[in-house]
Amino acid sequence: MATVELKGVRKSYGTTRVIHGIDLEIADGELVVIVGPSGCGKSTLLRMVAGLEAITEGTIAIDGAVVNQREPKDRDIAMVFQNYALYPHMSVYDNMAYGLRNRGMAKDEIDRRVRAAAQTLELAALLDRKPRQLSGGQRQRVAMGRAIVREPKAFLFDEPLSNLDAKLRVQMRVEIKKLQRQLGVTSLYVTHDQVEAMTMADRLVVMNAGVAEQIGTPMELYARPASVFVAGFIGSPSMNFLPGRLAGGVVGLAGGTSIPVNGAAPSAAGEVTVGIRPEHVEPGAPGAPLKLKVELIERLGSESLIYGRLEGGGELTARIDGEREIATGATLALGVTTRHLHLFDRASGKRLN
Amino acid sequence: MVENRPLSTLIAHAILWMGIAIVVFPVYLTFVASTHEPAEIVNGTMGFLPGGLPLQNYVDALFTGTKQIKSTPVLQMMGNSLVMALVIAIGKIAISIISAYAVVFFRFPFRMFFFWTIFVTLMLPVEVRIYPTYKIVSDLGMLNTYAGLTIPLIASATATLLFRQFFLTIPDELVEAAKIDGAGPMKFFRDVVLPLSRTNMAALFVILFIYGWNQYLWPLLVTTDASMDTIVYGIRRMIVTSDAQTDWHIVMATTMLAMLPPVFVVFAMQKLFVKGLVETEK
Repeated sequence: MATVELKGVRKSYGTTRVIHGIDLEIADGELVVIVGPSGCGKSTLLRMVAGLEAITEGTIAIDGAVVNQREPKDRDIAMVFQNYALYPHMSVYDNMAYGLRNRGMAKDEIDRRVRAAAQTLELAALLDRKPRQLSGGQRQRVAMGRAIVREPKAFLFDEPLSNLDAKLRVQMRVEIKKLQRQLGVTSLYVTHDQVEAMTMADRLVVMNAGVAEQIGTPMELYARPASVFVAGFIGSPSMNFLPGRLAGGVVGLAGGTSIPVNGAAPSAAGEVTVGIRPEHVEPGAPGAPLKLKVELIERLGSESLIYGRLEGGGELTARIDGEREIATGATLALGVTTRHLHLFDRASGKRLN
Repeated sequence: MVENRPLSTLIAHAILWMGIAIVVFPVYLTFVASTHEPAEIVNGTMGFLPGGLPLQNYVDALFTGTKQIKSTPVLQMMGNSLVMALVIAIGKIAISIISAYAVVFFRFPFRMFFFWTIFVTLMLPVEVRIYPTYKIVSDLGMLNTYAGLTIPLIASATATLLFRQFFLTIPDELVEAAKIDGAGPMKFFRDVVLPLSRTNMAALFVILFIYGWNQYLWPLLVTTDASMDTIVYGIRRMIVTSDAQTDWHIVMATTMLAMLPPVFVVFAMQKLFVKGLVETEK
């Protein structure tokens, strides 16, 4: 059990900067998810915590001790890899025991830990198998087991579910989360899947091009994204963005529609980007300002996704009750509640309200 | 493609049998000759059936060798060959697996330079560099020794390349997982790389053992003492060209004996050998 602390962490390869200064504190027992598109530096950051990449600038501390110069094995962390990285020639038992043997632990203590972990992960019957005789989900569990038996200060997960099929991924997601809760081990989890990130995280770090765009709880990020990037990344289907002009507390959209906003400084004015989540539009609300010409409907049962074009230009996706009858080609009047409007500065992409 | 045409099957089989006959016939004839009286072979009355001495010639060959001109007993020559083939095969595997490990898993100055240096030696077979090599071996006083017979043949670019290609298929994550598990370079080599290379090593061992066993030119140069004769070169020494009669029955028995160890190695290692060439265990 420990905290992990990153201070001004930077990484460059030669003159190319890939991580531009990350500050992050992970509390004891917390699960922090780093999410971002591929190439944003999230895996590099994790590997720096693990000690597999050198830190160019800044410090990383585990349990209060700066570990910049420590070898991975001396950092007391355990890592779960995307492709599991199990030793192909060793049995499940040996895979889990290998790290402990290298630390010179007593045989019966190793045996106790491995069997306990196997029990927790329902691997007890598979201890003599080789990794190639296991299914993807089972391999994933062995990789988890290898991390658990170490009883480390922190778990590091590098996209551990990406190689699984969709159904198994949802199931393992729950299992990992439960296990992490139960063991109470501080964890850092990297993924590119925002659903995985939202569902698992105690706190979320959204990374973009080597910068942490926003750090907060999943609901904070959903409700008040700090930038256009975070707004577009969190939530599925993603937020609609419309160009607009802010003046005197009212934002004017293309086609002459104007919507009152609150939260923005009354004096603020200028070119803005208006963000509206698909689930926050209300069909047929009184005084509905948006007129949507329906082009495509995806019926998911409980809800329907409406793709269409706004009068006055711009595309919009709306998510509405699945039982409402709507025909393709019809025009739909949509209202937006003011508190669900997101305003971003057009140039900088930063949040205004 | 599944075809069922009796005629083409028949033709295919006929061709295969012909091929087998062409390969097997000389071997069979050698075997037949090795069981006959020497006179029958020389007279040309030998025929195609095994003669009346099923074992005598082999016993003579193994323990005394040819008599017309005195040769080393075959058992001793086989011993020499075995030492040479084993040292070459094991030495080559040991040296090349270590150098490939260094080239693939470590970052050190001039890494690629060393790799290419190894690679370039592929273009210099033993025959091309035989004079300088001989000179060095002779200056070091290693003529007529096992060391002189084997050490110059141990370096192997081919095996190094083969191991390098295999090591490149080991995922980086495995190396990193081992690092986190506290395995240093030596431990990783012993606990992960060596067991994973098992089939590759077996395949190489078969090829290199036969390579070592069949060496002719090099033993011819560095050994002059008959007691150091290897069997492949020794057969040549048994054949007299001018003033005496060759003991053909003994030569033939020796030839049969010379073929046995490579055949044995191939049979013993066949399963691993095929596995090593076909699949990479991952």
